[in-house]
Amino acid sequence: MEQLITKQRAKEIAKKSVGTLAIPLVFAVVTLIACAAGGRTMISGISGFSNFLIYAGIVTITTFALSINLGSGRFDFSLGSMAVLSTLISIKITSSMPVSSGTAIVNLLLCFAVGAILGAVSGTLYVLLKIPPIITSLGVTLIFEGITYSIASGKYINGGEAMAIYNFMNNNWWFALIVIAVTLALMIFVFDHTKFGRDYAALKEGQKVSVNTGIKEIPNAIVCYVICGAMMGIVGFLSVARSGGLDGRSLSFGSIGIMFNAFLPMFIGGFIGRFSNDKLGYLLAGLCMSMLNSTFAAYINEVSASTQSIINAVLLVVFLIYLSNEQTCKDLVTGKLFKKWHDAIKMRSAQRKTREEAE
Amino acid sequence: MVNANSPVSASASINKYKVKSIAIAILPLAALAFLFGLFCIVVTANDYNLELYLTNVINRGTVLVLVATGAIFIYTLGSFDISLGASTLLCATVGVLTYNSTQNVFLTVLVMFAIGVGCSLLSSLLASVFRIPVFVTTVAMMSVLSAIASQLIISNGSGNGLSLPKTVFGPLDSPWIKIAVIAVWVLLCAFLFDFTKIGRREKFLGANPFCAKLTGISMYKYAIIAFVMAGLGVVLGAIFTLSYSPTVNTGTASSIGMDILVAIVFGGMPISGGPRSKIYASLIGGFSYVLLNLTLNIVLRMAGVDSQGSQGITQIISAMVFLAVVYVASMNYRAKNLPR
Repeated sequence: MEQLITKQRAKEIAKKSVGTLAIPLVFAVVTLIACAAGGRTMISGISGFSNFLIYAGIVTITTFALSINLGSGRFDFSLGSMAVLSTLISIKITSSMPVSSGTAIVNLLLCFAVGAILGAVSGTLYVLLKIPPIITSLGVTLIFEGITYSIASGKYINGGEAMAIYNFMNNNWWFALIVIAVTLALMIFVFDHTKFGRDYAALKEGQKVSVNTGIKEIPNAIVCYVICGAMMGIVGFLSVARSGGLDGRSLSFGSIGIMFNAFLPMFIGGFIGRFSNDKLGYLLAGLCMSMLNSTFAAYINEVSASTQSIINAVLLVVFLIYLSNEQTCKDLVTGKLFKKWHDAIKMRSAQRKTREEAE
Repeated sequence: MVNANSPVSASASINKYKVKSIAIAILPLAALAFLFGLFCIVVTANDYNLELYLTNVINRGTVLVLVATGAIFIYTLGSFDISLGASTLLCATVGVLTYNSTQNVFLTVLVMFAIGVGCSLLSSLLASVFRIPVFVTTVAMMSVLSAIASQLIISNGSGNGLSLPKTVFGPLDSPWIKIAVIAVWVLLCAFLFDFTKIGRREKFLGANPFCAKLTGISMYKYAIIAFVMAGLGVVLGAIFTLSYSPTVNTGTASSIGMDILVAIVFGGMPISGGPRSKIYASLIGGFSYVLLNLTLNIVLRMAGVDSQGSQGITQIISAMVFLAVVYVASMNYRAKNLPR
């Protein structure tokens, strides 16, 4: 009996491991083959590895932020504007400090804190106005973009603190790894091991029932926005670490593009999460996206930015077609679909025959 | 003393509700009238040329109103489409390329119609046949369409973009023609929306898709009709974009997709669609949004704010006004729980 249970457990673990690692492995194999075929290297040197980790961090943490509110039916367009504004404020605060390696760490902490405050503003507006979150987020996006534009005087900010962040992160690849690991641990702890996380899950599954059972929705929603803001603060910091500058020119929803990169990893991560943990799924999906991005970078002269956008969008559509028609796709592979069609046609012709005979 | 449950009290509360509903219904129109009056006062107080400024309002509002009016059919279903700006860009880009290679205006317009309606149909196909969530479909479509347009512009144009001779659509760049086209398009859409079963069924589907399906209404059919109407709006928007500015670059019509959301909410339509959807929301909201932005811009410049500073502040104030308008307009529809 005990042996049977152990065998069953081992089978379950094997199934979960395969399910969790299958997509990242497929991505790794395909991108490595693609690079090898053209005689290119996906990650070249320490700076390439650092860039790989920073991009994985940007995508993973944006996916965390996007999934928090989207999972609860609250669509938030303001994620991108929070990332830019929190980083800009942080850079402005530290601009009087002498530039050193500590500047980057202080900026990261400030981005986190300012992002959390911006998230709190957004969440408080939502609960006070009680209008659909998508509309609140439209207004908040415009406000945050307007503030960013006014502070940055509509310019691209580079040099000084931005360059210090860029240099520090590109010379210390392990720091990006720590940022990702700490964020993942924080997300898992907050959403899977606290009362807040359990309330969040309950509200996500059934808002009315949860509220009627005594769960306080308003504080929960505000905390969700605060966490989103803090996450986007980190994303803003990592974006500066990647490009060495900050775009303060975005107006009229120019900042919303930041969140669109997170849609594909969110769905891939959700799929991986069925076999393990959704947050781990988002991280693995972020790594997949970073592999793809590094492969594109290896073919920078052949693959334009437009082609990259098309490939990403097509991958998103194909993956969603699979997710939305999973059973049909499985039946197609196993051949059951044709049997089902055959049976349906047979049944219809039999019905027609019966009807004709009756007439 | 009147009992709270007495018929007198009930009728008073119904009357109060009715008055509130009527006030909220006319609020967007009143806001437009107020903004128009304020705009005229601000322009004339500064000794600016009012005619020139009004032409500017029409120029800025035309494309937004044309695209948003078609998009209302999609929003009524409770869906939304943020790829319409990218569709407009692609439609205009292909139009320029077609004219430059054939010199045939009729063929250019035909190709633009095929592209505009085709893009919309592709979105509806992905959403209805493959059952992909509409919003995600439109996010993917937005990326694909803008990337294709960028690729076409980069590979066929100069550094400034792709240019079309002003003579092709230039004659349409007149305020009266624009007003006439807006009137015809809005009236046509209003007819379909308010006097045919298309509009009624779309509102029903937006309010309760499950119930509508049980009564035999096909979601697929009406989703396709909605996307085709939005596609027609996109084509008109692309034509008038080219009439005003015959050079297309990657930034052309880039904010239209999101501006539509703001415009229709400004016009008093709920973003969730359903029976409270109004076709004229795009007209009222679109022009209100343009008037508000222009008025704020002039006022800030009067106050000594430089043109760059005024852009950011204008956006902040107009966003605050937007939130305030939505807050007031939704006062009658507050639920106990937080809306989603």
